[in-house]
Parts: sequence; structure tokens; C-alpha cells
Amino acid sequence: MIRRTFKLAWFKRSRYSLTIIAIALSVAFIVSTLLLTTSIADVGQPLNDAYEGVDVVVQGPSITAGDGPVAGIKAPVAPSVVDALTNAGFEAVGFTSSYAQILDPGGNAAGQDQASSNVAEPWLGDSPLNGYEISTGAAPAGPGEAAIDSTTADAAGLEIGSIIRYVTDNGLQEAELVGIATFGGADNDPYTSTLLLDQDDPVFVPTQGFSYVLVADGTETATVEGIAELTPNAEVLSGSDWIAEQIDLLNSFTGFFSTFLTVFAVIAVVVGMVIVTNTFTVSLAQRTEELALLRLVGTTRRQLMAQVVLEALFLGLAGTAVGVVVGLLGVNVLGWFLDILGLSIERSNAISTIAIAIGVLVGVGVTVVAAVWPAWKATEVAPIEALRSAELEPPSASRKRLMAGAAALAIGAACLVYGMVQTDILVTGIGIGGAFLALYLGADTMIRIAARLVRPLLARAGPTGTVASRNLERNAGRTSAAASALMIGVSLIGFFTLMAATIGQFIAGDSADALRVDYVVQGIGSQPEPALNDQTLSALRSSDGVDEVVPLYLTSVTSTNALEVERVGPGGGSLGVAVTEVEALRAAYDFTVNDGSLDDVAGTLVVVDQALSDSMTLAVGDTLEVTAIAGSIELEVAAIVETTLPGAPQPAIIGSLDLGTALGYNSPATVAYILGDADEAALTQAVGLPTIDVLTLDDYISSLSSNLDTILALVYALLAVAVIIALVGIANTVSLAISERLGEIAAIRAAGASSRQIFWSLISEFTILALVGVVSGLGLAWVAATAFFRALSEGQINSAQTDIATGLLIIVAGLLGGAAASWLPARNASKADILDVLRAD
Amino acid sequence: MSSAGSRKVETETPSSGATSEHVASLVGASKVFGEGDAVVRALDDVTIGFRRGQFTAVMGPSGSGKSTLMYCQSGLDRLSSGQAFVGDVDVSTLSDQELSVLRRSKLGFIFQSFHLVPALSAHENITLPVDLDSGAEVDEDFLAELAEVLGIANRLENRPSQLSGGQRQRVAVARAMIPRPDVIFADEPTGALDSKTSGELLTYLRQAVDELGQTIVMVTHDAVAASHCDRVVYVQDGRLVGEAQQPTVDDVLNKIRELS
Repeated sequence: MIRRTFKLAWFKRSRYSLTIIAIALSVAFIVSTLLLTTSIADVGQPLNDAYEGVDVVVQGPSITAGDGPVAGIKAPVAPSVVDALTNAGFEAVGFTSSYAQILDPGGNAAGQDQASSNVAEPWLGDSPLNGYEISTGAAPAGPGEAAIDSTTADAAGLEIGSIIRYVTDNGLQEAELVGIATFGGADNDPYTSTLLLDQDDPVFVPTQGFSYVLVADGTETATVEGIAELTPNAEVLSGSDWIAEQIDLLNSFTGFFSTFLTVFAVIAVVVGMVIVTNTFTVSLAQRTEELALLRLVGTTRRQLMAQVVLEALFLGLAGTAVGVVVGLLGVNVLGWFLDILGLSIERSNAISTIAIAIGVLVGVGVTVVAAVWPAWKATEVAPIEALRSAELEPPSASRKRLMAGAAALAIGAACLVYGMVQTDILVTGIGIGGAFLALYLGADTMIRIAARLVRPLLARAGPTGTVASRNLERNAGRTSAAASALMIGVSLIGFFTLMAATIGQFIAGDSADALRVDYVVQGIGSQPEPALNDQTLSALRSSDGVDEVVPLYLTSVTSTNALEVERVGPGGGSLGVAVTEVEALRAAYDFTVNDGSLDDVAGTLVVVDQALSDSMTLAVGDTLEVTAIAGSIELEVAAIVETTLPGAPQPAIIGSLDLGTALGYNSPATVAYILGDADEAALTQAVGLPTIDVLTLDDYISSLSSNLDTILALVYALLAVAVIIALVGIANTVSLAISERLGEIAAIRAAGASSRQIFWSLISEFTILALVGVVSGLGLAWVAATAFFRALSEGQINSAQTDIATGLLIIVAGLLGGAAASWLPARNASKADILDVLRAD
Repeated sequence: MSSAGSRKVETETPSSGATSEHVASLVGASKVFGEGDAVVRALDDVTIGFRRGQFTAVMGPSGSGKSTLMYCQSGLDRLSSGQAFVGDVDVSTLSDQELSVLRRSKLGFIFQSFHLVPALSAHENITLPVDLDSGAEVDEDFLAELAEVLGIANRLENRPSQLSGGQRQRVAVARAMIPRPDVIFADEPTGALDSKTSGELLTYLRQAVDELGQTIVMVTHDAVAASHCDRVVYVQDGRLVGEAQQPTVDDVLNKIRELS
């Protein structure tokens, strides 16, 4: 039977070629996204090797406040701890994250694409605590010598023996590059560009203490218990636990991204499944007579099922084989695309067999599962059907399908309403799922209604138009999958477009409009470092034409009542704080004061934005307990403003300069607002550092959404793949639907219809099909985006940012896509030789 | 009906370009399928004309080329060499668009398996050729008359799936008649019908020739069907091998026996 089935499938290979392409594309998409996800998750591995020699790690105590420890904020470890440990016979080194941006020979910042942190680390020589090894050249042996990691050296084109320049908090520095280092066998510490300097370099002098202290055996054996006894008030953990913590931190960094890729893999599976189910439904319906004939000569239903499922297996295997190969290539394309976008996503070169196995399982499994239901329906055929002339399905919706659709709609709508009122993200998600299911199940009914609505219009084009509208109605059950495929594509594009517009408006909209400055100066990169030291600020102040320089010291605190605070965007429970010269800021930013007075801001008296006031029910005069590096501190609300300063994280709290001291913040400023009729080039020259950008107001505002734009570019690229899969599905459905109508087309052609008339009749039929898909997809996208934003923003965003022009653009693009996908099959059918069909009868 | 005397072979050779009495004609028509050893000459240098108002049967054994003759004459198929005229137009020079216009205005087709459009009602199927022509109007009186004569007047709103085989074929006849074509090509029109129904259909076709002056070219292997015709031509191995006027069933059966 296997042989016979294979022969039959081979015989029908042209009919199945689009199905195989659809399966292959889906599998390729799944494999490449999973490979990318696993290779991203793998980048933490070098830490294990690099810090193998670390036995114990001492960290500052977690700062506790209110109900318990506050995540993410730890007090520094006093420098005396290192001395105590060393004196006790251990090997101990204190680390602090010292900012050091390496410059390439052209004087520009190096390694910006890959590294999200640029640090200097002490060269620890033979110590087991040294995570680095010199791969070429020598180790830095004293002041004025430096080594850098291999990735940064390659990216910046820096060679041993040359003088390299780098920028630290103390300004521009120089050193001779004496060596290239690797980290735990990898080319760099993940997401980090590292400058290795002599231990005694002034950059390592701790101002406040160390972030952590690494400990290894010296003359004494280092154990967690032993070290803990020596370091009361500190948090002591084993080296392996610490490494695991660091890897978790890295993964949480890319977790969003991995989730994101997984979501797209799931989308690809859903689209693939819809297409395969549809292919089998249509191709089996066309073979009713053949199947009935087999039944007539004594084939059991089971044998028939086995044959069809085996056929699906062949298709699944063929598509999967192609898909895996394409997927292996595709992961490089995806990676290349990430690099082009400048997204700081590091990947290992490891190829995960699990990713490939999942791809194979999904490709073959989905195809077989998708074939089972149509096969079961098709094999229900009575042998007598072979002797009757096959009539197509009756022009009415399946009652079961309609009822299931209505149920999905009712549940979906109820969940959406509940989710929007209660701003519950989970229920909202279920509601969106219900709406999707309702549209999927109701697609054929919608197509029938659309067909009836447009019939008078189509009838004007003559009988071919009438035939188009009637066929649309009659075959709705089968062709609705094409509309559904398009619906998925359009709703995804619509959803993400709405998301972009809404978030973009939220980030850059009102709060940026109130800026009244001429220039904004900040560190380079998408997440600027606090890089504006006093020297830079005074250079700016003394530039020609500058009236005022308002430095912003940005930090964050955790609310003691963290659970009460829900802010849109990254950061979660942490609150952005801007510390500045409030009086000067009032000239640079047009505050809308809702309550209180800005005059009162001083010390722990602060300004909060309306959103924070709403979510924590704060009024002027109320206190707000927050936790910072310096510990727990009580703030008092002096004023409530509509919006605070733009930027990410958007500060929810603004305080005076003395608040910075109280919070324990002592880094340079992150942003400086410049007022005055200054020259951009003069300002750039005054700053004199390639690590700092001078932006005009317009440039600054557009830079605010550049992170979002990058992510969106990626979203659209991934969506494009999903949409291509959907279009292949449409082409497949259309060509199958047309192939069963060749007899009818030949009859109309014989009666004198020109191939052009046939072509346009088919195109108009499938364009209406596409219209149903596009409009329902856009509707779904709007409902989903609105509900989603309401739920996610706790009611801060009440409706999605709608733009009619974009909506129309998506509709037109969707229709064109649908028409394009049906173009070839329609053209082939309209040009088909009438005689070939007539002779076949 | 004529006797044995009319069985003499008469060869009509239209001059290049057709004479006005020929509504359709083939001149030196050849049709070759395949290449090399597998070459099949479905039509081999055939020259024949069909007169206005004449009912012609084209007969021959399976594979003789009789259907190919009809397809090439009607422009559904292209000749390998020679010319095929409808009126004074050489159909081999026409584009697909021009052929379509020719089919809807000058030609009618009747097929063995009806080839009605399932999505359209009987009425819509009949008016199809006229409706396809945006400038043309359906002659509703003529349609009513056709439906009356064909006995399908009360079935016009039905879809093909709701009609019997005989009714379907009569709808197909009406569809072929409605544009008042120069010539109707019928390919085994009675092949799928029982003898009573075929008898009725042939009587109707005969009536169309006699009363409306309709020209009909019918491919058939049925001697009874051929006996309704004014003229029968025999085709074997792609060549014309005989012709008779006013044939009887016996004449036809004898000739077929002779050929095979």
C-alpha cells in the first residue's frame, strides 16, 4: 500500500507542490526561530568556564523595606571587606562596574552594536578569579597598558601595539594595546565590551564600595560558611550559585526576545495548520468519486483512511525535509537581520538538535493531524456516490460550525468586556482568542453574505460576474480557509502597527511636546550611559550662545509598595527618578501642574506624574516610601504634573539636586538640556568626546522611539514571513478551487467567453474573498489592540492610536496580496485549453 | 428519403476563400499530434465545405479524426497546416479574443456531456452567449419560443443539477441556438441519452434546419442519428473516405461495415 500511496501522491505532485511549500516555509520558520532562541539562551555558557575558579561571592545585603527584600537593589560592599578577606588568607578581588568606552582608530565608539555595557576590569593575572585569558600579545603589566576582548578588537579594527583611546567617567584616556583577551573560551563576556587595565588604575578606585567581591581559595579554603562568618551584614553565596544568577540575569535580558520569537513560531504553526487542513479538505472533496469508487470495489473505510493519512505523511516529510534545510540557512539570515538592525542580541554558533526535532515533529505531525479530519469526512462517502454525478456541497453553512462560531463569539465578547472593565490581561487574551475563533468559524458565513451583497455589482459584468458571486457563495465552506489565512496575516500586521503607533504616541507624544529646549546632550547608543561629568557640563555652559544647561541625573528607586505600581514599559515596579535643578528645568520643560506647586520642590519634596498619582492614589502632601542604593527613604509629594520628562525609563518622580545625595546617587548626569542660540558644531566641539551626542530637539524626539522602531523592523520582518506563508496558502486554496472548476470554465469559454472575462471573474471572486479576510483581520486587530492596551496599561491607554490612512493602506495591501496570490492560478485557468477539458469528459 | 442512387461520392472543393454558400469550410486541413515515430495524423489534407441550411453528420470509427475535424473547423483547435473558414474568415488567423467573440456570436456548441454551468439557472445558461456580449440584447420572444418547442419552458429557473439528462441537453440546444449562429457544432449530442430522448432531440435539430434554416454539423457514431441528416461524410485515418446525401440507417450501417 505504501508503494501505491506514494505513486498516487507522486502523480498529484503538482497539486501538492504549493502545500509542500507551505509546510516547508512553516517548518523553516519554526526551526530558524527556535535555533535562534536556543543560541541566544546559550550565550551565558562562557560564564561557567570563565568563573570556574570562583568559590564564593560576597555581595552587599539586599535592601529590605516594608515586607521584605526589594529585588534588584543591593548595598555596596565596603572596600575594607576585601582587605579583611585577603588578610584572612583568601584570594579576594572587589569589582565595581567602571564605565569605559573604547574608541576605534577613527575616534568613534567601538562595539556599540553588540555590547550593551562598556566596562573596564582589572587584569588579575594568574589568579583563579581572572575570567580572562590573553589569546594574543601580553597582559597589561602596568599603567598605560591595556588589553581588550577579541570581539571588540575585531569590531573596532584595533591592533596590538597601537595606542587606543577610551572614555571613562574621568574623560578621555589613552593606553597602549598590548593584548587581546578571551573570556571563558568565548570572544567576549556576553553583551560586554571590556577594557582590561592594571589593577592599580585609578578607574578601579571605589567611591562607594564594590558591587561584589569574588573569593577563591588562598592559603585557606573558601567556603560559604567560613566567608559568611568573616563578612557579617553581607550576602554570601557559592560561586556556582552566583554564576547561575548571572546567567539568569542575561536570559531575563533576552527573555522578552525569546518569547517574542516563540510567539511567531506558534503563529507559523497555526497558519501552516490552517493551510494543510484546507488543502486536504479541498483535494479530498475533489476526489469524492475516486474514493467512492475505491469503496465500491471493496476498500474498507480504514484502508482508505490509512491511504490518505499516509499521503499526508509523505507530504509532511517532503515539506519538513525542505523546511529544515531552509531553516538552517534561515537562522543566519535572521541573525544577519538582527545585526543590520543593530539589536544587541548575542548568539552562539551551537545548533540545537532539539530545535530541529521540534521542527520535524511539528511539520510531520501537523500535516498528519490536519489531514485526519478531512480524511474522516471524505471517507464517509457512500459507494453509490461513485455512480452519481458529483454535486458540490450545498450552499448553506454547516449548522455545527455556525453554532460553534456563535458560541466562540459570545464567550469572546464576554471575556473582552470583562477584561476591559477589570483590565485583566489573561481574560482579555482569552477574549481575543475567542474573537479569532469566531471569525475563523464564521468566515464562510461572512463570505456568503458578502457574495450576496456584491452580486448586483458583479452581475453588471455579465454572466461571468454572476458565476463568480454564485461560486463564491457555493464554495464558501472550502475557500474560507484562504480568507482565514489572510485574516491572520492582516490582524497581526494591524495589531503590531496599532501597537507601534500607540506606544510611540505614549513615549514621544505629549511629554516630548512640552520640551522647550534647543539641544539635548546625552551619551551615544540606544540606552545612554550616565556620561556627562562636571567637566563636560561646564564646557557646555561656557560655549557661545548657551543660556542654560539643565543636567538630569536619572536613577531609579523601588517603591516599597511595589505591587501597587504598574507602569507601562520596562522597569515594572521600579520608578524612574530625575534629579535636577528644578528651577532651571521649569524653563526647559512646560509642565502642566495639576495640583500643588513646583516652587516647593526641595529635599525630599518631589514632583510626581499624574499616572503615578493615580496608580498609588497619591495626593499633594502624601508620603511615598521608596528604596534606593542608600536605603529606604520617605518622599513627600509637593506637586502633581500631567506628564513628566520624556525618555526611557520615563521618570515618574522629579526631585531637586539634594535628593540625589539622599538617594545615594553619585554618577554623572545622563541627559543635559541646552537652551540658547548655540551652534551644534560648537557644542560638539565643547564636549569633545565621541561617546556623547549633541542632538537637536527634533533628532532627540525621533531618537526616543528609535528603540521601538528597531523592534518593529524585526516584528515586520518576521510578520512578512508569516504573511508569505499565508499568501502561499491562499494561492494553494485558489488553485485547488479553480482546478475543480475547469469543466465549468471550459463550458463558459465554449459559449464564447474570452480568457480575459474568465480571468477577471476569477480575480473578482477571490478579491471579495480577500476583502472578507482583510476586513475581519483589521477589525480583530483593532479590538485586540484596544483591549490589550487597556488591560496592560491598567486603563492608562483607553483606545488604540487609530490612523485611517494606515488602515486603508493595510486594506489595499491585503487586497493586492490576495489578488496577487490568485493571479497565477486564475491566469492559468483562463488560458487553459478548452479542448483538454472537454476531451477529459 | 433518398435511395441508393444518391450514394455517389460528391466532392465539394471550395476555391481558396469560401464561396457564399459555404458557411464553414476546411481547405487542405491537416492536424498532426506527436513527433517522430509517435506521430499521428488526425487530419490529413482534408478539404470540405458545409452549406447554409444543411444538416451534416460526420461519421467514422473511434480515432478516425471526426472530432478533430469538428474542433478544427470550429476554431477550438488549431490546424497544423491548411485553413479553416467560418464564413469568409480564416479562424486560424484569429486571436483568442477574436475566437471568443466568434464563438459567442457565430457558433453554437452542443456536447455529449452537456457542459452546462452548474452555478447558473437554465435560463441563464441559455442566455450565456448573448450576455457575454455587453452590446447584445437577449431576444426573449425567441427564447420563449425555443423553450416552448424544446419543452423546457417550465424548467427555466432550475439549476442544471435539478434537470434530467434530456432536459439538460435541450437547455444546451437552446443555448447553442439563441445567438442565431451561422453554424452549430454538435459533438455526439445523443451519446449520453436514451433512445427515446435522443429521438426527440434529433427531431428538434431537424426542425431547426427545416424551419429556421439552421446549419448543423454533427459528429456521431449512431446510424439512426445520421439518418436524420441531409448529408453524411465518412472519415477514416484523418481522410474523407466517402459521402452520401439523404442517408438511410441501412446505408450508413453498410458503409460503416465496409469501412471497418
